[in-house]
Amino acid sequence: MTHEQPAATDPVRRRRRRAFWVLWFALPATSMVGVFFLIPQLLNLRFAFSNWRSTSSSITFNGLDNLVYLDESGELWHGIGVTLMYAVIAMVVQNVVSLLLAYALRETTRLNSAYRTIFFIPVLLSPVAAGYVWRGLLAPDGPINQLIGVVVPGFDWAWLGEPSTALFCVAFIDAWKWIGLTTLIYIAGMNLVSPEMIEASTLDGANAWQRFRHMIFPMLAPAFTYNTVVNLVAAFSAYDVIQATTAGGPGDATRAINIYLRLEWGQGNFGAGSALSLVVTVLVIAAAIPLIWILRRREVAQ
Amino acid sequence: MILTRRDRVFAVVKYVLLSLFAIPWIVIPIWTVLVNSAKTPAEAAALGMGLPTQWNVLENYGIVFTDGDYLVSLFNSIVVTVPTIVAVVLIGAAAAWAFGRSRGWTSKTVFYVISLSMLIPPTLLPTIFLLQTIQLDGSLPGYILVMIGTRLGIVVFLATGFVRALPDDLEAAATIDGANRFQIFTRIVLPLLMPVLFSATVILIVFVWSDFFFAQFLLTGSARQTLPLALYNFANSSGQTLRWNLVFAHVVLTALPLLVAYVFLQRRVMGGLTEGALR
Repeated sequence: MTHEQPAATDPVRRRRRRAFWVLWFALPATSMVGVFFLIPQLLNLRFAFSNWRSTSSSITFNGLDNLVYLDESGELWHGIGVTLMYAVIAMVVQNVVSLLLAYALRETTRLNSAYRTIFFIPVLLSPVAAGYVWRGLLAPDGPINQLIGVVVPGFDWAWLGEPSTALFCVAFIDAWKWIGLTTLIYIAGMNLVSPEMIEASTLDGANAWQRFRHMIFPMLAPAFTYNTVVNLVAAFSAYDVIQATTAGGPGDATRAINIYLRLEWGQGNFGAGSALSLVVTVLVIAAAIPLIWILRRREVAQ
Repeated sequence: MILTRRDRVFAVVKYVLLSLFAIPWIVIPIWTVLVNSAKTPAEAAALGMGLPTQWNVLENYGIVFTDGDYLVSLFNSIVVTVPTIVAVVLIGAAAAWAFGRSRGWTSKTVFYVISLSMLIPPTLLPTIFLLQTIQLDGSLPGYILVMIGTRLGIVVFLATGFVRALPDDLEAAATIDGANRFQIFTRIVLPLLMPVLFSATVILIVFVWSDFFFAQFLLTGSARQTLPLALYNFANSSGQTLRWNLVFAHVVLTALPLLVAYVFLQRRVMGGLTEGALR
């Protein structure tokens, strides 16, 4: 590029040149996302309204038949209910525990770093492994009930085997696996408040709650937005932990949408499976847009 | 800061509470898995927290190697994770630089669509259909391509924000000195992006290494399974009642690679993630 040449002489050519390198650097990522993310999303819009089966030789449009079938079999609404419950439980547990841990460990000292390191360990476990670990811990005669048995002799509640607790437990395991990471994101947000400011407010007589409410929490808003949206949306795709612990049971108590997707796939009902995928996508969009909007507005307001 | 007596009491109470919390949260899970992975089948079935009365370590871990397809799936997990991360980080950073320095509406639109892929879950069945069309279904290369395409969003999103916050003086100076775009990217932009790319890599490794949903549908046959898939198939091979000594031995070996890496890189991982590269 000849930089001596005044920009005004040929602005169009300069802009084209600029656009040219941008194109080459953006092309690999754009084409990979385009082919392996965007094209399947668009195909899904077609498959969700088609009679695609493992046995069918051609894929033809069949209107709302898949959704009607999922509605009549009860899978659609039960799956949505389970998925929403799972996501809300996982998100609330994750945010509450992470906020408390982050507040306790926000200062970077040797001791705090050691605790942060320990609480991060579950993040490194795959969800399937976390599922098996907790399936053992929560077994009727497992360690958790052995501990409770010290206070309540003979306690043998089947946490994952009873419909009333199974869904809460699988969502809890999901939250447990991610809390170490969420905590670090909150710590990063809290450390935007300088220690001098905290000290000054302490000298002015602010108590711990006031410091948290009026100084730390406002700085936390971006981290709170990120964690809430990402955790909630990720939990809409609930599958791994459930598959390793209850596989959808007992009965259909933990059958989230993706568990039904797996069942429909197993029967060769690819059209119905695609429709279930579309439901997850719609749920994500329906939850993410208003959440980001509300949380962003609150960030600005503070 | 001056520590008053009240502050010191408060600190002691805080660490006592944290330790009490860590016992059921971290210590008991790890302990239960470790001791039971060393027990005989009959003793592990009781899921006790005591030490094994009869140590069965070699037998249990041996079975994980022979029947649990451990080495094959460890190899597959590495074969999937390494190229995926390298590709995602390099082409993601290149795209981030392009998007960060361009003001055109086309590049803005493309940037938003790629960022959206971070939030919207990838669709399973059309992905299988696509891989069948290009004859890569069930194979590791097909799975790797899908992982790259669906994981680029987070890197592009985080790194573009980073590029926009960087002044472009260095790049302008290098242009005057006669460096071409590729040299500027490899010598100036990539080093500057290192902190954010490191944090993104940590998150990506956690996601790609432990992916189960897509692996279960996109990889067929025991010769191609990754570690989470091998663990699942191994645990389920005994039906509804799990052989806890073997399942936990597999969990230990499955978790080991990332845990070992974490022990060595722990300080950098913690530092990178708490310095706020992810905000």
